[in-house]
Amino acid sequence: MLNLPRWATDCLKRRDPALVQSGRPFALYEKHKSALKLVAVDEKVSGHNVWPGHNLSDARALIPNLEAREIDRPLIESLFAEFADWHSYASPIVAVLPDMSAFGDLALDITGVAHLFGGEGKMLASVVGRLEALGLEAHGAIASSIGAAWALAQHLPGRIVEADGNLDVTLARLPVSALRLTPEQVATLQQLGLKRIGQLYDYPRRTLQARLGASLIARLDQARGLVDESITPRIPAPERFVERRFAEPISLLDSVLETARDLAIRLAADLEAEGVGAQAFHLMVYRVDHKVMCLSARSAGTTRDPLHVTRLFAQRAERLAGEFDAGFGIDMIRLGAAEVSQLDSLQVGAFDDEGGGDLLRLHDRMANRLGETAVLRTVPVGTHMPERAARLESVIQPAKPASNAFSDRKRPLRLLPNPEPIRVTAEVPEGPPADMTWRRVTYRFVKAAGPERLGEEWWLTQAALTIDPPPKTGEDKPRTQKSRYGWDEEDEPPLPRRPMLFRDYYTAEDDGGRRFWLFHDGIPGTEGAGWFLHGFFS
Amino acid sequence: MGSPAKQEALEALRARIAAIENRPPLGESGADLRRKQVEGFLASAPGLLHEVFTPEERNAGATLGFSLGQARALIKPDRPAVFYMELAHESQERGLPYGPGLQNFGFAPEHLTLVRTQTMPELLWAIEEALSCRAVAAVIADIGGHPKILDFTVSRRLSLRAVSGGASVFLNRYGTGREASAAQLRWRVEPAVSEGHRYDSQLPAQPRWAVFLEKGLLSTEHAMGGGHWLLDWKNGFEFTQGDVAEPAGPRKIPAPLPGAQPAALGHGLLETA
Repeated sequence: MLNLPRWATDCLKRRDPALVQSGRPFALYEKHKSALKLVAVDEKVSGHNVWPGHNLSDARALIPNLEAREIDRPLIESLFAEFADWHSYASPIVAVLPDMSAFGDLALDITGVAHLFGGEGKMLASVVGRLEALGLEAHGAIASSIGAAWALAQHLPGRIVEADGNLDVTLARLPVSALRLTPEQVATLQQLGLKRIGQLYDYPRRTLQARLGASLIARLDQARGLVDESITPRIPAPERFVERRFAEPISLLDSVLETARDLAIRLAADLEAEGVGAQAFHLMVYRVDHKVMCLSARSAGTTRDPLHVTRLFAQRAERLAGEFDAGFGIDMIRLGAAEVSQLDSLQVGAFDDEGGGDLLRLHDRMANRLGETAVLRTVPVGTHMPERAARLESVIQPAKPASNAFSDRKRPLRLLPNPEPIRVTAEVPEGPPADMTWRRVTYRFVKAAGPERLGEEWWLTQAALTIDPPPKTGEDKPRTQKSRYGWDEEDEPPLPRRPMLFRDYYTAEDDGGRRFWLFHDGIPGTEGAGWFLHGFFS
Repeated sequence: MGSPAKQEALEALRARIAAIENRPPLGESGADLRRKQVEGFLASAPGLLHEVFTPEERNAGATLGFSLGQARALIKPDRPAVFYMELAHESQERGLPYGPGLQNFGFAPEHLTLVRTQTMPELLWAIEEALSCRAVAAVIADIGGHPKILDFTVSRRLSLRAVSGGASVFLNRYGTGREASAAQLRWRVEPAVSEGHRYDSQLPAQPRWAVFLEKGLLSTEHAMGGGHWLLDWKNGFEFTQGDVAEPAGPRKIPAPLPGAQPAALGHGLLETA
């Protein structure tokens, strides 16, 4: 657990050197119930015995040359989040504890990691030392539970309590505020004369719970390691990873990709030894100025082929070449594999080298370069509504065995994603169309077949037969991105406007041999009824 | 052009170019088109760059059908995939290939992968990637208008890729302009009025296309048709006697694009732009 009590002021000082040069005490304040209260102070301010929670006016009276600014919480929180990500160089599981404060406290799960740094003591010293070199005030502690580590980092920095150590004894001397309690709970405990954690051990639990709520008991047990507590890692923790650290920071994209290739070969060897492959790969690039870039590539099939993985990243990188920013250099690159599953060790390449495997790799390359929604296959859906009878899904998704089949009714070769309104005249009312005007051109029909009446699927509430207006030209992109015919399933279900809608579909051939699929929507003569063009036959 | 010697030299050059152009375009791909005649009409050899032109975008259904029909003949057990590519924002213009309709046409939808790219360079990249895959039988690219990027160099690149990969490319193009291109075969496809249903002449029947071969040679027996056929789709191409009025009469010379150099050199090969 790392505690950075002055993160807010320290990070702003790093961003704005003028604050340091002026040498004035610096504090951040926030409006709190019509009073301006300090929320973060630097060491010069606390030297005057002014702490967070004091009024800004009091602080100004005590420290005449105080530099005070209003806190920008989103900025500081996002800076802290980036900072937290960067700590994944030390441990793959890094978390911010948002229930206490969105910035300032950083939890690292170092299970099985510490030996890489030469032991827990050395690891703590190295991590904290690195932060102090950056000008950040940091306290760290290591304990077997998150609660205990938090308490130690706040009150006994530098302390390491082994898993089998006397955690209870160490905690007993700490004040109750070390238990991650609300200010009200702390105040009540103070009134009861319970000032140290040790006093709570033997106190009747039922009384404590009745007076102070169940959360106190939970916090106490969490700190003592009696109940488990889990943290939510900020970066998806790869199941397997390999990494390379650089003595001198590198900055070229080509070097990064070259390293990715070496790492992929090492990762492939590791995976092969276990007889597994992976579907998701993450390339994490750590910059010296504590920022992390994360590139992710997905594969449709389980793979460990270093060539294939490298190529996926190379394509990804090609797309963001303009955005690539190495800052002051990159000092570590990590390649992680996730979604690991069994892969026959007989396979030498990513897939077998014939037909199907080649195709899967092609799908991966295309989906990685063009986006997952750009490479699609058609899947039948069990409905008779034309725009829903076929769903387009990404080829990256594993193919499910088809539960439906396409209907063998006469359907057009091309379907317009949005039916377009047309003007139609029919020789007899409700008869086959005689001509239509579409996109300002008139077509005279020589043959027509129909109608085929399709009714609303009343058993599905969201299956109303409604028409989306056709898109205007020069429309914004997200909509044309639609990868389906008509509306998305994720869209708000269009509510039926009228009861029992139906469409009458006709196939019509004009005098040039063009065959169209058009339909009449609604009851003729009523409001909203009209003709639409929906598709083209060959 | 004064001297007779010059004229002679020119004549000799013309004859030579004509000889080159008259050669079936498959020397490169090593395939022999002459004996390939499957499904009633030619199933052209794999590894060719086709251009399938139609004068208007509203004929998009006809060209897609024609390309799919040819692509279907190229599907083999070890080459099961056909790719359809288009620009994502053009879907509403001509419609997207529709699963039930493909089934209805006789093309199994599971063979088709749709690729919708944002830009033309991405589309060309996707075509090349697909061509280099050994599981791909054909790539059908639907390209509206005359994008600048699609020049002779690019089409030459695609045709070489097609030869080396062994998959065919069908560029579905719209309009009457023709750029210089390295396509081995250039088709003009227009829909034609179908013959009518067997029991009711008022019902639309099987698709029928008027097909013109504007560039490239197939074989002597096909060449007898003057590069113009009327084709029916009866789950396979079928010749129909041209008893239906030809929509365009004799072969129309399409307008070359401004800037394109017409190479009217070989005899009778006026359109090899």
